[in-house]
Amino acid sequence: MKVGNGDLGPKPLKFTMPTYLIHFAQFHMEFRLPELDSLAILEAVELRYDPAAYSNDSPFMLVEIPNDDDARKLVKRSILVKHIVRLWAESPTLEDILETIKDARELHAPYLKSSFKFIVAAFGYTIELDEQISRIERFSFLPFEGPIDLKNPDVTFAYYEDYGKPSAQEGAVREANKPKRVFFGVLLASGNRGVVTTYDLKKRKYLGTTSMDAELSLVMANQALVRLGSFVLDPFVGTGSFLMTCAHFGAFTMGADIDGRQIRGKDRRNIQSNAVQYGLTGRVLDNVVCDLAHHPWRIQPVWDAIVCDPPYGVRAGAKKIGNNPKIKPPPTVLKSNGEPRYPQTVPYEMNDVIVDLIDFAATFLVPGGRLVYWLPTVTDEYVPEDVPIHPKFKLVANSEQNFGKWARRLITMEKLRGDEELVGVDLERGAEPATAVPAHSKFRTKYFECVRGVENL
Amino acid sequence: MRLITHNMLQCHAKGCDPSQSYPLELKEVQLESLDAEYSEDFIRRLIPKLDWNVLVHTAFALGVAELPKELPDVQDEAFLRKVHQVALETRVKEAQMVCNGCGHVYPIKDGVPNMLLQDNEV
Repeated sequence: MKVGNGDLGPKPLKFTMPTYLIHFAQFHMEFRLPELDSLAILEAVELRYDPAAYSNDSPFMLVEIPNDDDARKLVKRSILVKHIVRLWAESPTLEDILETIKDARELHAPYLKSSFKFIVAAFGYTIELDEQISRIERFSFLPFEGPIDLKNPDVTFAYYEDYGKPSAQEGAVREANKPKRVFFGVLLASGNRGVVTTYDLKKRKYLGTTSMDAELSLVMANQALVRLGSFVLDPFVGTGSFLMTCAHFGAFTMGADIDGRQIRGKDRRNIQSNAVQYGLTGRVLDNVVCDLAHHPWRIQPVWDAIVCDPPYGVRAGAKKIGNNPKIKPPPTVLKSNGEPRYPQTVPYEMNDVIVDLIDFAATFLVPGGRLVYWLPTVTDEYVPEDVPIHPKFKLVANSEQNFGKWARRLITMEKLRGDEELVGVDLERGAEPATAVPAHSKFRTKYFECVRGVENL
Repeated sequence: MRLITHNMLQCHAKGCDPSQSYPLELKEVQLESLDAEYSEDFIRRLIPKLDWNVLVHTAFALGVAELPKELPDVQDEAFLRKVHQVALETRVKEAQMVCNGCGHVYPIKDGVPNMLLQDNEV
């Protein structure tokens, strides 16, 4: 199977493949399509959809996929997909749906003797239980002779009503039975949202102030196309969140950090003890204390993915080794116990961190490898041109998690194969450098000037 | 620090002779072995990225294993498992890692190598 075959992004609908309904979780909306696109590459599934028909305001999207097995494969690792349904009908009203499917014998045929159940759900409206039952009863004309089995049915039919995102004027009051559109089909598979609970920070034994929440850490592993046998580095490893979620999907992981205290932890709680907690010691390999700006790695393309949350200096101070004239140098480089002293450091400006990271990735990723990192920025100043480009990379995805005055953006870049420099989806900007002064430069200063008081980091 | 990582680290002090900065010499070594998951795919893709000579010499010097001096043409499972055991399951718990070029000492403590330079070395 090829990784990142260069055939990225949505492909237009051909109307030659079966149609499926994807029911997304209504979280992290900007991350949903990039994750789905990544999973299509990872699982080598031909996926087609109309990006114009997708909206962050709706959890429903129609896609074309060759067959049911591919549909199941596509979502089995997905953090942001709840369900995938083989569509029987989509329509403005339930009556239209009933009309469409009532004589569709070829659709009914496989399920005539099957045990079954129905699920009913809505977006933008709460269908009470009695209303749910009356909806299900409308389907009673279907010629299914099998028993109803709520626990372990052979087939689950799914009926969804989409009332759209509630507007401020409407409040929570919606008119019943007036959805914008409805869907009906066979529920094929669920996504992988259960794994979010496994890696929930509340249950993790060793944590730091910068530990990344489980859901986004897992999405990042999908964005990185991590799979069994991948080799992954987090060069700002901290307490090792990404080592765990990438190893969960089969990667062998390594970390590096200028701050060895986070790697070693204390009271026998550290990155290694987290690996023990999750049963991942066989794949979470080594951590190295080093500085990205003066790193010790032997030069060669070695990692399949680099996944990280660079230090932006709000909680974890961004710093690199350097002579700091404000500090009096110690008389010797060794402490009294013979260990080397911690070197002097100087502030590591956000923009320099990002530029160094991308240069590092350009050298150390294998062709087709992915760099997945968070770019913090000031919401009002951000422009898309802030995102640095590099002649060895194409930009694959840029998804915002907004915190009000500031935001962080998950940037996914893919290293080009061979010598094809700068071909791909981000050609419009050519080889021009990023904006002269991007919004994320001096992020720490700006954060404390204008965002101070924001607690949720 | 597993031997896979030793194979990937070099001295990066300012002014260090690049022809002497790799490999780093392990001294006062305390070894341990630990389990790692065997993945044929990972090992097959790792082998071309290893400096084979360095792995052979390091494994021999530490008394871990005798690996063939030349990479065999046919890499059967027994060979792949041996590379797995040497590179992923052999861990240097305590050691001094010394650069033969500039003499910089990188200590390894409780399995974690400290590759930080002093500010006058960058």
